[in-house]
Amino acid sequence: MSLKKIQQVKKDRGFALFDLIIYGVLIAVVAALFVVVFTAFNREPLTGVRVSVRAEAVFEFTFGGQLSVLSEDVTYDEDSKGITVTVQSDDGFNVIYIDKQNRSVKMKQADCNGRQCLFFRAMTDNSQFIYCNPHAIKIEPIDRDLDSPDIII
Amino acid sequence: MRSVHFQAGFFVAILRYIKYNGAMKKFLTIPAAFLILGCTLSAGCAKNYSFYTNIPDGGYEITDSHFTLGGTAGGYSATEPEIEEIDTTGYTSKSKSYYSMLSPAELVVSADFSADGAESRFNEFTAVVGATLDNIDKCLSHAVENSDITKFNNAQAGEEIEIRRITYEVLSEAYAVYKLTEGYYNPALYYNVRAYYFGDKQVYPKRVSQLPSDEEVAVYTDLASHFGDIVLRTDGDKYFIKKPDYTVSYANTVYSMKLDLGGIGKGYAVDRVEGLFDEYGYKFGYFNFGASSMLVKSNVQSGAYSLYFASPRATSTESYGYVKIKTRNQKISTSGDNERYYTINGVRYCHVIDPTTGKPVNKGIMSVTIIGGSAGSADALTTAVMAMGREKALQFIESKLTDRKVVFLCE
Repeated sequence: MSLKKIQQVKKDRGFALFDLIIYGVLIAVVAALFVVVFTAFNREPLTGVRVSVRAEAVFEFTFGGQLSVLSEDVTYDEDSKGITVTVQSDDGFNVIYIDKQNRSVKMKQADCNGRQCLFFRAMTDNSQFIYCNPHAIKIEPIDRDLDSPDIII
Repeated sequence: MRSVHFQAGFFVAILRYIKYNGAMKKFLTIPAAFLILGCTLSAGCAKNYSFYTNIPDGGYEITDSHFTLGGTAGGYSATEPEIEEIDTTGYTSKSKSYYSMLSPAELVVSADFSADGAESRFNEFTAVVGATLDNIDKCLSHAVENSDITKFNNAQAGEEIEIRRITYEVLSEAYAVYKLTEGYYNPALYYNVRAYYFGDKQVYPKRVSQLPSDEEVAVYTDLASHFGDIVLRTDGDKYFIKKPDYTVSYANTVYSMKLDLGGIGKGYAVDRVEGLFDEYGYKFGYFNFGASSMLVKSNVQSGAYSLYFASPRATSTESYGYVKIKTRNQKISTSGDNERYYTINGVRYCHVIDPTTGKPVNKGIMSVTIIGGSAGSADALTTAVMAMGREKALQFIESKLTDRKVVFLCE
């Protein structure tokens, strides 16, 4: 490297404004990720799930524990990875998938109008729930965190 | 400027590396192409919607970039409810589910349940709420044989019948909203609702292929337009309603007026449940009646509740909510075209009927939410605003709903 080049590199050292902005953004992103991850882990993981139709419990499952079918309208299919629960009523059907490995629950299929229940986020902690209003079905954690301030309308 | 050169040089170095390394080029180029294609497609497919509100800036938070503020209505001048500071140490929450008026309902109460008698008091409270809902259903349901509304619907034109106080109160509120909205809320569109297969037990989602004729719709709409002719009166502790002395004929059948109070009943129930919350001294929790009407008291964790307005056109779990509003000690009502509808040849037919045409609303408003005031009237007002269309709705909100927060979403 020529002397001229070395002098040029020395001259260029230090933090220019643009560099500081880039580093600032990086630090902010890392901090935000830390907060998000910390918040996510701070929530109580899903311990079990209860399915109700017209306010009557029809199915209950506790991760690593008991499974109860409480209605003739409910059938299920279980393998090592998860449980597929089908609720059939006069109004139609809903298929719920319980992922035993990831401890999550989601509405997989439904023939209700609008199918809004399919777009609820998968339940992964005890503060979340899934509604299917046309079929009057509610999926909620058995140990539900009722203190959560978030409500979807 | 030097830094810009540095960043540019960094990327140029990467590009040169890719250029001189064939395997890496292939490895990166194919996924990159898919990524760019995916982004382009998703950007093109993601539909944008506009919402309109009279809530002043800062009173809401947009939580999905596909939704933008399309316009505002002025005039909002309500004062927020007072906040009472309460020590919530030792508070826990309990819930109770109900099914009434063909809808699920959920009650959540936060209190100190370790106190003497608190548990049994909560059990009594939930039982009273359940009995109240049953009582309202028995008065208002046209599916219940001896309900007041069944009696009215089966009465002759011009006949007067005795009704219970609950029915009288709901009908009085319905009549007031009918007048306030100049008929845009009309509970007498009974036959129109059924002609479009939206009756309680009608199966509409997949098998609708034939719509009612314009002539049939016009006949039913004419009958409904006489809702303003009902006569409500009291005599001591007795309550009465007189059916309009007016009939219409279609296909050799004579029709007299029938009512469907589904658009106001749940809201009225929420008002009654609020009274029970106060009677039992519960200040924390909420009562959600089928996402149609709800009461929110205070939240034990954060004071206010965070209400997320779900998109009626959600196509993925990302459409969780487009606007967030924090509120407490308020009642909220929502109407939308997303839960009861069908499409024929790409045209959406929803359960909300436009009283000016007698047909399902089709003026671009997808959902309406009203916060504040009585839930009964708000329940009816959301239906009316859906039928008005954007411009009339904005005028109506600005002139008549200055004491309530309103949000509506347009296609």
